[in-house]
Amino acid sequence: MNDLEIVIGLEVHTQVKTESKIFCACSTNFESPPNSNICPVCCGYPGVLPVFNGKVLRLALKICKALNCEINKDIYFERKSYFYPDLPKNYQISQYKMPLGEKGYLEILNGKKVSINRVHMEEDAGKLIHKDNYSLIDFNRTGTPLIEIVSDPDINSPQEAYDYLNSLKLLLIYIGVSDCDMEKGSLRCDANVSLRKKGATQLGTKVELKNMNTFKGVRAALDYEVKRQTIVLNKGEDVIQETRLWDTQKLKTVVMRTKSDAHDYRYFPEPDLLNFYVSDELIESVSKTIEELPLEKKRRFMEKYNIIEKEIDVLISYSWLAKFFEEIIQFYPKPKDVSNWLIGPFLEQVNNLDKGFSAVKISAENFSKIVQFFTEGKLNNLGAKKVLSLSITTNEDIDTIIEREKLVQVSGQDELLKFVEDVISSNPKAIQEYLEGKDKSIMFLVGQIMKITKGKANPQVAKDMLERRIKK
Amino acid sequence: MIDTRSLFGLDISEGIRKGDFKANEIYSFYYDRIKRICSGLNCFVEAYGEGLNCEGRSSLEGVPVAIKDNICIKGKRITCASKILSSHIAVYDATVVERLKKSGLVIIGTTNMDEFAFGSSTENSCYGPAKNPWDNTRVVGGSSGGSAAAVAARIVPFALGSDTGGSIRQPASLCGVVGFKPTYGRVSRFGLIAFSSSLDQIGPITTNFTDCANLLNIISGYDECDSTSVSLEVPDFTKSLQDNVEGLRVGVPKEYFGEGLDLEVREAINKVIALLKNKKAEIVDISLPTTEYAVATYYIIASSEASSNLQRFDGIKYGIRAESNGLKELYFKTRKEGFGEETKRRVLLGTYSLSSGYYDAYYMKALKVRRLIKNDFDSVFKKVDVILTPTSPTTAFKIGEKSDPLSMYLSDIYTISTNLAGLPAVSFPCGFSKENLPIGCQIIGKEFDESTLIRVGYSYQQDTDFHKKMPKE
Amino acid sequence: MVNKQNVEHVSNLARIEIEEEKKEFFAAQLSKIINYIDKLKEIDVRGVEPMRGLHIKENVFRKDKVKESIYNEDILKNAPLSQDGYFKIPKVID
Repeated sequence: MNDLEIVIGLEVHTQVKTESKIFCACSTNFESPPNSNICPVCCGYPGVLPVFNGKVLRLALKICKALNCEINKDIYFERKSYFYPDLPKNYQISQYKMPLGEKGYLEILNGKKVSINRVHMEEDAGKLIHKDNYSLIDFNRTGTPLIEIVSDPDINSPQEAYDYLNSLKLLLIYIGVSDCDMEKGSLRCDANVSLRKKGATQLGTKVELKNMNTFKGVRAALDYEVKRQTIVLNKGEDVIQETRLWDTQKLKTVVMRTKSDAHDYRYFPEPDLLNFYVSDELIESVSKTIEELPLEKKRRFMEKYNIIEKEIDVLISYSWLAKFFEEIIQFYPKPKDVSNWLIGPFLEQVNNLDKGFSAVKISAENFSKIVQFFTEGKLNNLGAKKVLSLSITTNEDIDTIIEREKLVQVSGQDELLKFVEDVISSNPKAIQEYLEGKDKSIMFLVGQIMKITKGKANPQVAKDMLERRIKK
Repeated sequence: MIDTRSLFGLDISEGIRKGDFKANEIYSFYYDRIKRICSGLNCFVEAYGEGLNCEGRSSLEGVPVAIKDNICIKGKRITCASKILSSHIAVYDATVVERLKKSGLVIIGTTNMDEFAFGSSTENSCYGPAKNPWDNTRVVGGSSGGSAAAVAARIVPFALGSDTGGSIRQPASLCGVVGFKPTYGRVSRFGLIAFSSSLDQIGPITTNFTDCANLLNIISGYDECDSTSVSLEVPDFTKSLQDNVEGLRVGVPKEYFGEGLDLEVREAINKVIALLKNKKAEIVDISLPTTEYAVATYYIIASSEASSNLQRFDGIKYGIRAESNGLKELYFKTRKEGFGEETKRRVLLGTYSLSSGYYDAYYMKALKVRRLIKNDFDSVFKKVDVILTPTSPTTAFKIGEKSDPLSMYLSDIYTISTNLAGLPAVSFPCGFSKENLPIGCQIIGKEFDESTLIRVGYSYQQDTDFHKKMPKE
Repeated sequence: MVNKQNVEHVSNLARIEIEEEKKEFFAAQLSKIINYIDKLKEIDVRGVEPMRGLHIKENVFRKDKVKESIYNEDILKNAPLSQDGYFKIPKVID
């Protein structure tokens, strides 16, 4: 095992966010009833012709730029022929000799720059449902635009493959081209893995792995396959070049039943589509839409803000969240406090909104006020959360809300004295328990004070006062 | 009883507007003729008892038109004369059909053809061969043979055909009518069941150039559904209906007048040249040296693209599905049972030339030779305005005579280069053989210069009456 | 030149079953045709750009706009076999 080196290449397909399909005007909505988003073009009807959706080029270019690829300016599509029931024309319109992007790289979490061989555009196939003794075809998905991202065989461990996938997903979500959901099928991954002696320049025989449905699945399948190939090689045998499926039940890779003809795809340039010229202007305009990428942002945040890495990871996980964060601290320059409030209560409330972040209306300034009032003691935890919930979708003025709801925290000992004495006199049992050493009872009493003050008491002050009073 | 056989479609339309006849009278007249004469000629696949039309105004409104069986008409059976599509009902209108309907023409039915347009005789049809109205023992040419025969026999005033290697022009020549292939990209291919995507074009088959120009006006123009259609403005082709060829430079390529050209055809073409010369056109001797490579180049490109275009016929989504045990057999048996012999041959040839190991030597090489063929035309068109050639080396041959596929392919020699170069070309009747079989003359124009071709053809037809002759019934 | 094995290989790629008796027949015809086509070997194409079609080079794009699907019913009606809104085929075994 020690003298063998692992060589992995990953092929990722991602659907990109367009309203309509790549070569026809059908909707890409995947939640529709079967065969409802179809037309003669995407169903391979006689006499139809493809017309290219320009948005796909923009999104694909964005991916190429974000992956630091060289852009091929004169591109065209090719037909890739094979017979399969989910492929209506029995050829897929794809790119072969002239992919849109080449020779790029993706920087992954451990700092390594994994080489990207090519990025190209193609159309998706339909969906097959297998029953006992027949199969069903749904063509809704045929013609959905796909971008294929192929890495060089530059990944050297299953864990690194896992990191690569996570980094790629973060990047693609960041630039807003895809929602990269493996469960929904908007991201798919196939892997190629081979072993060779450390230091050897030639690649070993590679095995293609398919049917991995999660990133962890990819890692597990690669793990298993590396072990399997190691055993084969240690026996002095050769690894057979084949395609293997990851069996998610048995957790092993198995040979695909029939790989009849080693595919002769008979590629040739698509005669129904002209060439496309990717101008410098287009590349410029697309580049401008790419904001700071996740890893750059993370590095900058780590340097600039005194926040722990785990929290930074959450902040940068969505580019809108990171942006919001930096806007807020313009108004209230306390990164740690703002971060706590964003990562905690804010995200929690956002997740409960029907439309998620797009329903958020609160301005950075108003948010900063909430954090400030809490930190300075004007609002307690409950109060601040309540203010947030009332302003998150309305952007109502904070002071107005506080006054109307009477949420100002009561911290004055004079105001609280009455309540403290009330609670003490009404809860002899708890007091007894506290004196006996049951520390938790104090929290119960604090809770009572919060109750009768309708959450307005400053819990810390209330606690101190109670403790002093009781001990008297 | 009306009889509009000798009228131009334009005149029929005007007659309807003036009240000389009613639209439904016209329709019945032609529909009856189809029913009566067609079993003899086998040039129609389907005739519609009720004409399909939409409200529309144009110079040809109310006139019936026949459509080749490879152009989609919504709700109608469109089969490409193939068993594999015998159950296929088109779910949309081809763009040209839409445009005809919007112009008020009435679609009367679909015409017989070589299966998937593979052929030069309409013998490769699952419905049996069409017969030449001038001599029922002879072929009509192909692949738009049914359309050409129907127009020649005056069963319809005009029809649409498709041309990939001569499939409009050659049958027009063999049947004695006008068959026009526009520049590639001039007319939308959306709805034309594809044979060879970089060569196919739809065009009109008429008895005269007036109807031809009017039809071209209607069907031409950019279509957003066809990425290969050009966004050039369409000139009014009727403005070219002028009797004037003075100063026109007519190129006569020596390669088209060599061995294999029938003597009577040669004489008829020479008479065309003489007539044009009399009308003050200038005749220029030219050479197109790459002509000898055209057939080979064409058959590689056309079969390769065709083999790919026909992959979609698999029994899964539409058309027939063979009885089978399992999916694999479904594909193999459906395509075996559904495709005719010539179709199988072309698909095998095309698959072979695209397959690994052969792609560079065949397909890629052919695309390069194609460039050389185009270059030949480009340099010749610096010296001439049109090129004049015979359309076909012979008149109509006997049904069953050309059983060798290669000899059939070679008979396309005069029409094929034009498709490779994407240029417009038209065949028009210019004489009859001793056996009273039509002879066709072809003129080839510069890209997008259909106008000059129309002017030349129109001029010719002012001084001749070959286009007025009708076969005996 | 084109032999029976070539025909078998190519007909397999093209998913057309050719009867045993017909294989030699097609092989012979294809040989003759390919033999003729080999004429192209004579011609020198060094430095020549392939011509894919009479194209005027322009970017032909479609706007990313959805058109409501009006064809579903007709398309399903054409299916040789369908079930519950799906196209039905024999079991696909990989």
